[in-house]
Amino acid sequence: MEIHRLFANRLFTPALFVALCLVSTATNPYLQYLLNLILVYVVVAVGQMIVLGFAGQFAFANAAFMGIGAYTVALLGSHFGISYWVSLPAAGVLCAVVGCIVGLPALRLRRVYLGLMTMGFAELCYWLFLHWRDVTLGTDGVKVAAPTFFGIRLDTDDAAFFVIVIVTFAMVLLAKAILASRYGRAFIAIRENELVARCNGINVPLYKTLAFTLSGFYAGIGGGLFALAVRFVAPDTFNLLQVVLHFAIVMVGGVGTLSGALLGALFLTMLPEVLRGTQAAQEMMYGVLLIGVIVFMPKGVAGYLIERRILPPEVLVHGWREEVREGDGTPRADAKPSTAELQKGR
Amino acid sequence: MTEFVILVTAGLANGSLYALVALGLVLIYKAQDMVQFGFGEIFMAGAFIGYSAYAYLGLSYPASFLLAILAGGLVGLLIERGLIRPIAHFPHMTLVMVTVGLSFMLKGIFRIPFAQDVYTIPPMFGGSPIIIFDLIFASQNLLTTATSLVLTLGLLLLFAFTDLGKQMRATAENMFGAQYSGINIGLVFATTWGLASVMGAAAGILSAPITALFPDMGTRILIRGFAAAVLGGFGSVPGAIVGGYLIGVIETLFGFYVATALIDLSAFLVIMVVLIFWPRGLFGTKEITRV
Repeated sequence: MEIHRLFANRLFTPALFVALCLVSTATNPYLQYLLNLILVYVVVAVGQMIVLGFAGQFAFANAAFMGIGAYTVALLGSHFGISYWVSLPAAGVLCAVVGCIVGLPALRLRRVYLGLMTMGFAELCYWLFLHWRDVTLGTDGVKVAAPTFFGIRLDTDDAAFFVIVIVTFAMVLLAKAILASRYGRAFIAIRENELVARCNGINVPLYKTLAFTLSGFYAGIGGGLFALAVRFVAPDTFNLLQVVLHFAIVMVGGVGTLSGALLGALFLTMLPEVLRGTQAAQEMMYGVLLIGVIVFMPKGVAGYLIERRILPPEVLVHGWREEVREGDGTPRADAKPSTAELQKGR
Repeated sequence: MTEFVILVTAGLANGSLYALVALGLVLIYKAQDMVQFGFGEIFMAGAFIGYSAYAYLGLSYPASFLLAILAGGLVGLLIERGLIRPIAHFPHMTLVMVTVGLSFMLKGIFRIPFAQDVYTIPPMFGGSPIIIFDLIFASQNLLTTATSLVLTLGLLLLFAFTDLGKQMRATAENMFGAQYSGINIGLVFATTWGLASVMGAAAGILSAPITALFPDMGTRILIRGFAAAVLGGFGSVPGAIVGGYLIGVIETLFGFYVATALIDLSAFLVIMVVLIFWPRGLFGTKEITRV
């Protein structure tokens, strides 16, 4: 039995969910916190992956959306006492709207220009978190009120885990559905060749804006979950390093693969925790590992595993998987190209 | 009025540093179509190498300056030859990621000896500022601006009048075409990285007397250099220079007339406004899409 079939099995997702819940019963507080953080970063990474990995837009505003999401939840809770169950979706919707607005200049900008514009937006948000003291309390940060669920206060990491894991799974499954639909295919077509996409009747501005909106939504929800996981929101979390981290997650995970977002979030959230020693030694190892992964796995961890047939290929064409199941497990010669193959064409 | 002129000259001095960094970024971008995210660390390396030469080896400021830019250039050369060349065929985004890793690594390396303190070099000219009419110029600012201008001019002359410059321009224009005409593009890339890093290191050591040195100092200047390059239209050499000076002046004026807290943000505000109206920067050329 090939390993990739295991992942492709429809029972895999529920099994993973149950396994994660079981694992969480056996963790100490530190590991639980780390597990929560990894799941939060999965949601955030999916947002960055959609816009950068799938739609191919050099957008680095994801960290800003994450910050807006986290602050929305924290401030709605502390200033107005609004319940987490309202503020979390509100954060998602607000960030989706902001993402849509930030996406508008993207219609005219390309590559480095878009990169700088979005990075500028990230700096603008960071600056607002830092200096708009009346609202964000500046460097003091905001404490996040623990949500209650039918009278139970979810104020421990163990309790927060269940909220986070459920939302994360829902968000990832939603992303999977979106990316396997015509929307996902349109994103990839735009990434591969905008002109060809346009010639094939794809409404490029619409889909670009949609990619930004989705990225905002995911990062917003991710930010809201982040607020729950760390219970304290401070501006310094959302500086340039966060921008770089999101980019690194996508690149290390594997551009243009949903599993890449998951693996990238897993590795880069764990990496600083695993590295020991002085700050200098940690930074050096972090840098060397980033370079090493990219040099030896240019398509990221997920791309590498897909090539080794350990992970199933991510296919965005309907009915493709069924063809694989009927046959001998290898794609038919006339099957549509996989994402990995599309990437090779560049 | 006097105040305004003084602010502008101070802005130009800062801007000349941004121009050098932007120039370095643009050189690499033109050659290999990638953004060097570790360039802030080249700047930091230049500053610290210069500092070490000045403080530990007891060299004079000009000698430290020379040593710093040569060592910085060497670092750039080594990075290109050892790290980037073997993977130059990777997608550009992947190369950018490698330079992000590089930035962490260099920061770590320089944090080992320089983690404990914030370092600084005394200004090269002591007290007396230069007074022309009733305008006061800090001599250090004049020195910074002049040195940066000399370096920039040198680079422009190199591009215009030497064979190497011609080869570099040809490679930027069309890499394969250049290769088929017998240009050693490996050498061109190495020189480009070397020259770019000389610019970055020069900015670093020039900034050493006016700012504090610490291992994270590169991030701030990288953003400014990036902004300057984009303002000028990424890929345009004159654009990078003009963009650098513009950012420097705007930042200083913003900081004085609007709000000090806005200094860090002003570059971005300007860029965002400029990009909305000129999507390819001020000097950027229209992209031609081949079907």
